[in-house]
Order: sequence, then C-alpha cells, then structure tokens
Amino acid sequence: MQTSNKPWHPPVGHLDTARHLGKKHSPWTVTAALWLLVLMPLLSNAEPVNPNEMKAGGLLLKMQDGYHAATTLNTDVDITVNGLVMRVKVRQQFRNTGTEWAEGIYVFPLPDEAAVDHMRLKVGERIIEGEIQEKEKARKAYEKAKAEGKKTTLVEQQRANLFTTAVANIAPGEAVTVEIEYLEEARYDAGTFSFRFPMTLTPRYMPGSPLADRKGSGWSADTTEVIDASLISPPMVQRSNEHRVSLDVFVNAGVPLDIIASRYHPVSIREEAGRYSVSLDDPDTRLDHDFELVWRPLADSKPRAMSFSEIIDGESYYLLMLVPPVEGRVAPLRMPRETIFIIDTSGSMHGTSINQAKNALGRALQRLLPGDRFNIIEFNSVMRPLFNDSVDASTANLSHAQTFVARLQANGGTEMKPALKFALSSPVTETHLKQVIFITDGSVGNEDALYRVIEQQLGATRLFTVGIGSAPNSWFMRKSAELGRGTFTIISAMHEVGEKMDRLFAKLEAPQVTDIQIDWPAGVDAYPSRVPDLYLGEPVSVRVRADAPFPMGESINIAGNMPGERWTTEIPVTDDHSAFGVGALWARARIAELSDAARRGANPDEIRASIVETAMTHHIVSKYTSLVAVDKTPVRPAGAPLSKDQVPNLMPHGQSANAIFGFPATATPAAALRLQAAVFLLLAALTFLIQRRRRASLA
Amino acid sequence: MRRWLKKYGLVSCLLCLGFWPLGQSAYIPAKAWLAQDLMQRAWERAGDGDLEARPWPWADTYPVARLLADSGRVDLIVLSGGSGRTLAFGPGHLSASATPGDVGNAVIAGHRDTHFRFLRDVEVGDTMIVERPSGLQYLYEVIGNHVVDSRRGALTLDTDDAFLSLVTCYPFDAIDPGGPMRYVVTLRKLL
Repeated sequence: MQTSNKPWHPPVGHLDTARHLGKKHSPWTVTAALWLLVLMPLLSNAEPVNPNEMKAGGLLLKMQDGYHAATTLNTDVDITVNGLVMRVKVRQQFRNTGTEWAEGIYVFPLPDEAAVDHMRLKVGERIIEGEIQEKEKARKAYEKAKAEGKKTTLVEQQRANLFTTAVANIAPGEAVTVEIEYLEEARYDAGTFSFRFPMTLTPRYMPGSPLADRKGSGWSADTTEVIDASLISPPMVQRSNEHRVSLDVFVNAGVPLDIIASRYHPVSIREEAGRYSVSLDDPDTRLDHDFELVWRPLADSKPRAMSFSEIIDGESYYLLMLVPPVEGRVAPLRMPRETIFIIDTSGSMHGTSINQAKNALGRALQRLLPGDRFNIIEFNSVMRPLFNDSVDASTANLSHAQTFVARLQANGGTEMKPALKFALSSPVTETHLKQVIFITDGSVGNEDALYRVIEQQLGATRLFTVGIGSAPNSWFMRKSAELGRGTFTIISAMHEVGEKMDRLFAKLEAPQVTDIQIDWPAGVDAYPSRVPDLYLGEPVSVRVRADAPFPMGESINIAGNMPGERWTTEIPVTDDHSAFGVGALWARARIAELSDAARRGANPDEIRASIVETAMTHHIVSKYTSLVAVDKTPVRPAGAPLSKDQVPNLMPHGQSANAIFGFPATATPAAALRLQAAVFLLLAALTFLIQRRRRASLA
Repeated sequence: MRRWLKKYGLVSCLLCLGFWPLGQSAYIPAKAWLAQDLMQRAWERAGDGDLEARPWPWADTYPVARLLADSGRVDLIVLSGGSGRTLAFGPGHLSASATPGDVGNAVIAGHRDTHFRFLRDVEVGDTMIVERPSGLQYLYEVIGNHVVDSRRGALTLDTDDAFLSLVTCYPFDAIDPGGPMRYVVTLRKLL
C-alpha cells in the first residue's frame, strides 16, 4: 500500500496547508466557501451587546449607574506583628485604563476592630500624607479639590469593618497608589494567636423598601431600613484579570513557636532568630478569600500575661492581656441544655457556604445528649422553625432533624429579625441552660437593628455565632456574640468544620469565668469597661489610658468567679514592651463602646462629640471622621470630563452572584452545541473530501 | 481493520464529535417541551387539591403557576425554584420572591432559547394571565422591558403593589450561554 509510507497528517495540518492545496485542487475553494456560507449565519447570531440599546434602570431594578469599567485595582499588603499589636499597610493601586479622566471608588473590608490611622496618596515620586477631619469637612475638601482638577483621595468608614477609598482625577493610562495603615490586636484563644485579613465582602441583603434618593452608586438603592445601602453595595464580578493581592507578614511573637501556618492560602515561611517572614506562594492570588494566619507558642512558653505600653503627650496607654488561672479545673456535672440552632439559608449562603453550614449543624446535633432539648430555625425571606417549640433530643427527633438539615437549600432574602426574635423569645426554664447557636455569613446591611434585638431580648440566653463562608461579615459575628454574651467562631473551609465546631462545643460545655473585676488605680479609663464572661481558653484583654504611668514593680489585682470558687491574681507592671499604636487601639475600643451607648439610646450629639474628639486626638478614621489628602497642583485641564467609576469587588470564593442578585442562568447551551456540531460535521466532510482527492491523485 | 481506520478513522471521529452535540442540542428543546406536557397533567392534579403535585415521581420541583400569554398561544407551567435543573423543564419561580398574584414582586425566570423565547416579541401594553393552582386567575399588563447587566444590579422583591418580573438571558440569539446580560419584562397586576 503506497499511502502507508506517508506520515499521518492531523486535520489541522490539512487546514494549514490550505494555500498549497488550493493551488492543486480547485474544489478546495468551493468547499471552503460552502463551509463559510453555513457558518456565517451561526456566527453572526453572536451579536455584541450595544450599550446604547441598554436601558439600565427601571421600576423594580436596583441598578447602579455610570459603569465605565475603566478603573482596575490591585492590592499589596504588609503586616508586622509585634506580640499582640499588629500594624498593617494596605497599598491599593488604581489604574485608569480608560480614555477619560476618572474618579475611582472602591469599597473594601478591613478587620472590624481596625484603627485606621494613616493614609498616603502617592503621585509619581511625591507622597501626600492624609489628614484626619470631620467627615463632612473632609468630604467637602475632597469635592472641592476634585472640581478644581487636583489629585485627591478620601478614606471613609461605612461600617466598623467596611471602608471606602475615593481617588479623583486619575489621568487616562495613569496609576495612582493609596496607602492605608491600620492597627489591630491579634486574637489569642486557647493558646493560639491568629488574625484574619479580609479580602472581599459577601453582598449584603438590604431589607426595607427603596427610597427615591441615593447617596452612592452601588447596586442597591438606599432603603427605609438601610439608609446607606447604595454606599455599601459595590458591584460584584465573578471573574477578573485584576483583583490580585500580594501579602507579606513579619511575625515577632516574643515567645518560641511550635506552629505557624496559614489556614487557606499556600505560603512560604522563613525563620530568622525567632522571627518569621510569611509570604503568599502565588504572586497572582485572587482577592476573594479571607487570609488567616495562626501561630502557637511551645506548650511550656505559652504566655500567661502580656502587656504593651505607649506614652503619648504625657498620657500612658496600655494593652493588657491575662489568661485566668483556671486551667485543668473540671466542670461540675454537665447541666442539661436547651440549644436552639438558627441556620441562614439565604441566597448569599448558596454554593460552598451552605454545605459548610449544614455540615456544622449536623455535627452540632450529634453533640446533644438525652435530656437536652433543641430546635432548629431556618430563615431566608421567611422564617421556618422545625418544631413549634423545643423538643427532647430523642433519637427520633434527632433523625428527623438530620433529614431536615440534609434537605436545606439556600436561596432568597436574609430576614434575620423574625428568626432571632423567635429563638430569643422562648422562656428560659430552671432546668435547662438556654443557648442559641447562630450559623450565618452575616451578610446584612441592617446590623445595628439586629444588635438592638439581641440586647433587648437576650435575657438569660447566651448567643453564639458561627460565621460561614470565604468572606463572612466579621463585625456581625463578633459584635452579636459580644452582645449575646457568648463567643464566635469562623469557618471558611469544609475541612475545618469538625475542628472548629468541636472547639466551640468544648467552650459551651466548660464552666465560665464570670464577674471579673480589675482594681485600677485612680485616673484610669479602661475598655471594655465591663470585662465580659470568659469561655474556655479565652484571655482577659483590656485597653487602658492612665493619667500617670503605673508605678513600676507593683501589680494590678484581678479577680473572678468560677463555679464554686473565687480566684484572684495579679498583673505585674513591667516596662519591657513599649509598642507604637497602643494609644490608637485604646481610642478604637473607646469609640466602639461609645457606639454601643448610642445604640442603647444615649444622647446622639454627645456621643458624636466624644467620638470626634477621640478620633481627632488619635488621628483615626471613625463613623464621623475621615482621612483626606489633596495635591496642590491642578492636573486635569479645565473642561476635560471626569467619569465616576465604582471599582467592583470579586465574588467570594465558592459563591455565585446569580443566587444573590435574582438573575439565574437563563440560557441553554443548545446554540453553542449546534455550532460545535456544525463545525465538526463540516470538518468531517472536508477531511473526507481531501483524503479522497489525495488518494485519487496518488493512485 | 487498520486499513479501515486509516481510511475512515479521522472522518468517523469527526462525525461522532459532530453528531453528539447535535443530539444534545436537539434533546434540550425536546425535553423542554415534553416536560411541559407532563406538567399540564400535574397542574390538573394540583387543581384537584394535591398542592405539591410533582409532574413525575422523582421530580425535585412542583408547579406553582400557569402563565398564559399572546392570546393563549403561549401556555406555560411555572415550576418552583430557579435552579438549572428546574429551568430545563419550564420557567422557574424564584422562591425568594412573592407568590404570583400576591402583593410583592414575583420573579419568574426562563430560558431565552426555549420557554421564554416569546419575550422578545412582548411589548408594553400586552397582557398576560397568571393562574394559581386553586384555579384563580389574575390579569397582568406589561409596563416595561429592560436589558440589564446582572453583575451590577438586583431586582426589588418587596413592593407595595403586585408585580411580576419575567427574566431571561439577553441577547436572544447569542451563542455563549453564560453571558451576564438579562432581559427583564415587568408587569403590573390589573385585576
């Protein structure tokens, strides 16, 4: 056979040699033309969307306006940990890829206790340091500079854990960097230190009916219940070539470490003289999943107490942490408990979150013992309790509950209030300890209204929050648990459900440390002013301002109650940890407590004045103060238009935008399949023709 | 055998690669319209009081409404839920939204290339009828057609009046099934 000596040609090869073949075989051109004729109508169907035809907006559509998709953003993070005090630098690079001058607006999350104290605008080689001003004044300064064509930037706080950066007058093709710095306290729990760096936000549900006017340009209109909804609802994108982050952490723990690890991101760690450098392995990490670093001291060097101090203008500030001496004490007989689980099955839980939540709930049900009572409440747009009232944890009831949990699906709104009220309203009995375990991603815009419900209806119940997902609302988790006199846990991956739920149950079942009192010397202002009850492994942590430094060598007495006994201990005053930023952390704690007072009905004007005064003194961003930077020289020519551009956020890892925004996928792949079929059938016909001709010419 | 493979192997492969998606693309509309027929029966059962009547025993959804448009030429059974599995069989009512006929915005989504293809010809002022399992009928009037970018917007669900939003993909003849644009037809209840 002659053809057997010839090399086999892949079909692509035939197409590549089309020119050559065309000379030899005139039918090729005919076939090609035929092919194109068939394909043309199929391809021409894929008409691009003409923006002029789009009538964005409409009666029931909550659309944001002014979409130019020109400004892109990348983030660069540097974190330095010094014992408990962390200083974080976040560099946001805005690049205008459009052809007009742009104003970029970016809504981003920060840890909920972050004290933002610096902002710098970098224009070429020059650096303009941001100034702290009252919110309205700062906004006016920004708007004025914007109108005058000067480069300017404004950092505002929208929620305790949600901020906005606005940068005006970015030239076409130019990149402008805004550097933000904040302080934070590392979390110490059960002998392990940790912190989270949030990367994106889960779109929040905005209850209430829409208002006519809007303050911002987000996807949601302002509503009767969330009056600033348009400011905290940035557009979300599922895919992006931008939104990349680089992150480096330097850890000086002060004690020898047993373990240091990142929970969700691959990192490389280098050690030098007991200090650690951690950096993300992937230089193109997507900004879609919170970062968490944990480090644990060696068992015999776990700190029992830590103190950090800073002196500003003659006033002394302290950060004190103490582990109460309660280790190894066993609980008296386990008291039967009534556990009410609330599980969030709203649209934002769709995807990996609902599976994590169901798994966590399933595991919690297994921890119930005969004699306990329980109930499960599912909520999205409506609330649905499994039982009308709590029932015994009998085998039959538990298996009924497991089936109920297995069938849960996530869609709809996030109407939390009715579920919370239902769970908190049932009366507490003498015989059972009542605990509410609230499993949610906390993606709601009306946090304050919910905090009020918790405070007013808590009674003797204890509320525990379990935060779920790649980017849960950390402020909601911590604050709800604080007001509910419980504790919070955050689960962001399926593999940690078991570990974290077990730890939560260990806390629920161990005795608490209550009525903690600290004997402060005179002239001291400490926050929290009332030390909360402590669960297993939790330390006392207070931030203090003192008129005069604590006398060296003396100690501060601290006492608390355990079931059946009272303990006392002392914190020795030493001067070995002077740390920059303790003052700002104190100010942040004071502002948090003032905000709580405002929610409880304190005079809003007085609260506002106190917050402004504290924030201005310590140069930190708050609800009523912002950082603003203005360049001196105008750069945008008068008359050149400025386009407003809201930078989108990346959807949290594992979540789908369709489940939240009410737009499911509404096309079948039929058209794409028909196109694919046509292409292959034509290729088959072509190959057949070409092979026949070749054989004929060779014969 | 080797000779045959050499001679026709490539062509046969390409034929398979071509006929497989062709079959699938034919199956999609076939499934879409056959299911509607089965569901018409489930609808009658629902009317007889079987409130969560499933169109076939293993179905994970059930009919919630019937949508009549274009003077009865469009007659669709609307299923509960908006998942891909449901939409293959019929338009889906998003369970987070209001029940069709009630105060609030009821959102019904459907595929642009099967059930909701008729939306491209719907104009402001057209009327549609929504029938509930109980047999109650409501008359709706189209008050707007909008093309929106689903990445940058959301639908209002709590309204003071009874609205209906019919959502499908846009443009109607695009090839890529994953596009972000949606076509939303808004209707208000007349009676």
